[in-house]
Amino acid sequence: MAAALPDIDARPAGKPWPLQLKIGFAIVATIVVLSLLAPWIAPHPWDTISIRTRFRPPSATYWLGTDDYGRDVLSRLLMGGRLSLAMGLGATLVSVAIGVPVGLAAGYFRGWIDEVLMRAADILMAIPAIMLGLLVLAVTPPALWKTALAVGFVYIPPIARVTRAVTLGLASEEFVQAARARAESSAYILFAEILPNAWPPLIVEASLRVTYAILLGSALSFLGLGAQPPSSDWGLMISEARAFLDRAPWIALAPGLAMCLLVIGINLMGDGLRERLDPRLKSRLAKT
Amino acid sequence: MSLPPLLSITDLDVQYRTAGGTVSALSGIDLDVARGRTLAVVGESGSGKSTVALALMGLLPVEANVARGRIDYDGTDLLTLSDEQRRTLRGSRMALVFQDPFSVLNPSMRIGAQIGEGLVHHRGLSKDAAHARAIELLAEVGIAGPAAIANAYPHELSGGMRQRALIAGALAAEPDFLILDEPTTALDVTVEAQILDLLRDLQAKRGLSMLFITHNLGVVRQIADEVAVLYAGQIVERGITQDVFEAPRHPYTKGLLAAIPRLAQRHKRLASIPGRLPDLRTPPTGCCFAARCPFAKVACGTQQQLLAIAGRQVRCVRAEDVQAEPWPIIADSDAEAAEPCRDASAAGPVVEVANLHKTFRLTSGLAALKFEGWRPVSRPIEVRAIDSVSLTIAAGEVLGLVGESGCGKTTLGRTILRLIDPDSGRIEIAGSEVTCVAQPRLADMRARAQIVFQNPDSSLNPRKTIGAIIARPLVRFDIVPAGQIEARVRALLDLVRLPAHYANRYPHQLSGGEKQRVGIARAIATNPQFIVCDEPVSALDVSVQAAIVNLLRDLRDRLGVAYLFISHDISVVAHLADRIAVMYRGRIVEIGTAEEVLNPPMHPYTEALLSAVPSVDGRDHNRIRLPLESRLSLKQTGCNFAGRCPRRIGEICDTTSPPQLVLSATHRIDCHLDLAKSVQRFSK
Repeated sequence: MAAALPDIDARPAGKPWPLQLKIGFAIVATIVVLSLLAPWIAPHPWDTISIRTRFRPPSATYWLGTDDYGRDVLSRLLMGGRLSLAMGLGATLVSVAIGVPVGLAAGYFRGWIDEVLMRAADILMAIPAIMLGLLVLAVTPPALWKTALAVGFVYIPPIARVTRAVTLGLASEEFVQAARARAESSAYILFAEILPNAWPPLIVEASLRVTYAILLGSALSFLGLGAQPPSSDWGLMISEARAFLDRAPWIALAPGLAMCLLVIGINLMGDGLRERLDPRLKSRLAKT
Repeated sequence: MSLPPLLSITDLDVQYRTAGGTVSALSGIDLDVARGRTLAVVGESGSGKSTVALALMGLLPVEANVARGRIDYDGTDLLTLSDEQRRTLRGSRMALVFQDPFSVLNPSMRIGAQIGEGLVHHRGLSKDAAHARAIELLAEVGIAGPAAIANAYPHELSGGMRQRALIAGALAAEPDFLILDEPTTALDVTVEAQILDLLRDLQAKRGLSMLFITHNLGVVRQIADEVAVLYAGQIVERGITQDVFEAPRHPYTKGLLAAIPRLAQRHKRLASIPGRLPDLRTPPTGCCFAARCPFAKVACGTQQQLLAIAGRQVRCVRAEDVQAEPWPIIADSDAEAAEPCRDASAAGPVVEVANLHKTFRLTSGLAALKFEGWRPVSRPIEVRAIDSVSLTIAAGEVLGLVGESGCGKTTLGRTILRLIDPDSGRIEIAGSEVTCVAQPRLADMRARAQIVFQNPDSSLNPRKTIGAIIARPLVRFDIVPAGQIEARVRALLDLVRLPAHYANRYPHQLSGGEKQRVGIARAIATNPQFIVCDEPVSALDVSVQAAIVNLLRDLRDRLGVAYLFISHDISVVAHLADRIAVMYRGRIVEIGTAEEVLNPPMHPYTEALLSAVPSVDGRDHNRIRLPLESRLSLKQTGCNFAGRCPRRIGEICDTTSPPQLVLSATHRIDCHLDLAKSVQRFSK
């Protein structure tokens, strides 16, 4: 029992941010800002080839060294951040835009609609993500937007499942019954009554999907199916650098570390958001 | 008595650390439980009563902190013991029975094993010996066929049986002190009455001391020797149960007792306690009840002490001054009648239901397949939630629908509104048939017939403001032009007696009673002719419940709206309803005007329901006790109630469906009883 805990002013907005959320947010915000400002803050042109400056180790001029074409690794890293982030966010947008309506419909209507949608999601899930990406990209000329689309497609099922689980619980709430008793349309009930309450767990899930999408996108770029040279994508940078791993490890190390940092940052942010937004966690805290 | 009390709590302060600050959940609690006696701690939600139980058992959550005080149990201060010592004490001499028998038992363990668990761990009994002892204990708590029940899983037992099993589990350790935290709250009244009987018997037999925690004053009256009334973490009145109930001294106790609906005074307006609990993060400096007290004076601005008055303790300086003054019944009809009163005698009934059926299948598809010889046949387990129900509700009339949990009353209410589709039958609302109309074309009916829900926490969308919630039906049905919506929302808030600035608040910023008012405002926004009130007050505290019942009554008078008022509490129904229908397992077994149904109760089930209601005005031991119901008995013939009926006639009850006995133009019962004999019995 929530003994003597009047929650009159316990608006979620008033709660302090958990530490993970602060750290995660700081990391992600730094990377995003640096990537966005890349054209103006990059110390060297990211795509100028120069034979004389090949394989320079990190120094005062080239903070992170240069690659096999003599291009500044730091500048390429900053520019590459834009592509990787765009890939992660774009793919997640695709999966949310399709997965959320699918999950809402499955969880609210139940019955055969639920069966058809969820079995379709199962089939999609049964195909390994990389295989699916390869399939889409192998038959058509590779392009970054296609990679994002393919990766987004792969992550529809998890988003749909989370949405469905949340919807199942919300559909039996009395405010949904009250909406039915007002003869509201199903679309209104799904998007105006249920969806606003489903956001917290969805935001958490989506933020974690961004990291998966960045990793998968980079993996596809590594395989030559995403960003195309000479554009700089972190996955592509690692792919290009792998031949020189013994001579110039910094070329691969820089994008690798950057990707690790971004993924850790987003994960921390996701965990922090979960702690702050997830109503189940909140109610458990309130009960004790 | 020369013996010192078994348990004595002295000056106990408990605080919770929360994100919003420190909450003093208990302050300065003094309690004594004498050996072999029962002390009831009674209070509304948020009063801190469960914290008392948790502090006693040493089960306080981590963010709680015992700031001061001592808890002496048989001469030892529990607060100085180590965790290990307290654990041993919990396993042997003190036992706790929790509120919810549905979630406390482990669903994957057999009943016998759960009861015997403690014996194996604490007493070192072998598994077989523990099992044998568990069977003895189950027999002691009045379970028939204990050996079979010991091998059953919790889901196979009804709520009453589970609560008995929990009590058996608590007794396993042979405790001399039992803490019961709302042990009957989740149970039906008929079952509650039996559990109280059982506890009294056990106490007499074993010499148990009991601390009984509840919000239900009727239950307190039936079981407790002494009572302590808790308000905002303080004891406001403490004394012998009978004295306190017959002559309450503290204004809060007076208010609580006045707010209880009584069958004998059902035409009177209920008294209610305005306002809400103070915020315990910043407790008021003076009397914690002053803000809600009609007797408050300047002296109430100072800290109140427990004063000894007439053999009991009262935390009120004015207790002697206002001793003779009863709790005032506030007319609270100050709100201007913004609505013209609709003509209640408008032609024809608002709701007509004929021969309605609804059956739920608990198993379907492959799970329902049984083999008959070699042939698979589909034999789904079915529950007849609504079984040939016919009723009419006139314009402006309140039909009360009573019945125990699972009798189908909520299903009936929702089926009438087509929120659940009926299997067969006919539903007419405001003169048009709606039985088979497709959902999208029901809009017209939906504007005329609305619903108020039971649970104020789930009936309002937490992401919308109160204003948006009330405005939505206005927009949906084009009730008023867009420019007037805001004004209309204010008028509706005023109608349910909420201040206009509440329109900007979110549901979690409101108390339970206030949320329920918003739910009512939303329902009346469409100017309906009919509202299904589905247990609108059962989730609320007594003091708030009274205010909501009064509000519903006022709205009926002012707007001429008809209600189907569903409740498990027959005394609340009696207060509001013009007519009452009694439902048992999907059938309406008795229907008539409130007077006809209650005085005297002709149907044996109605009689049992009435007699099980724990009275606050005296102890009554000659009450009818219904035998426990075997869960989901699948009997298809005869009278549904035959198995538990105290007035069972004979074979005929099991084989033949009861006939409809018509007692008057408005009153009928479904029973085999000989009417002449019954009338004679009651006229005696």
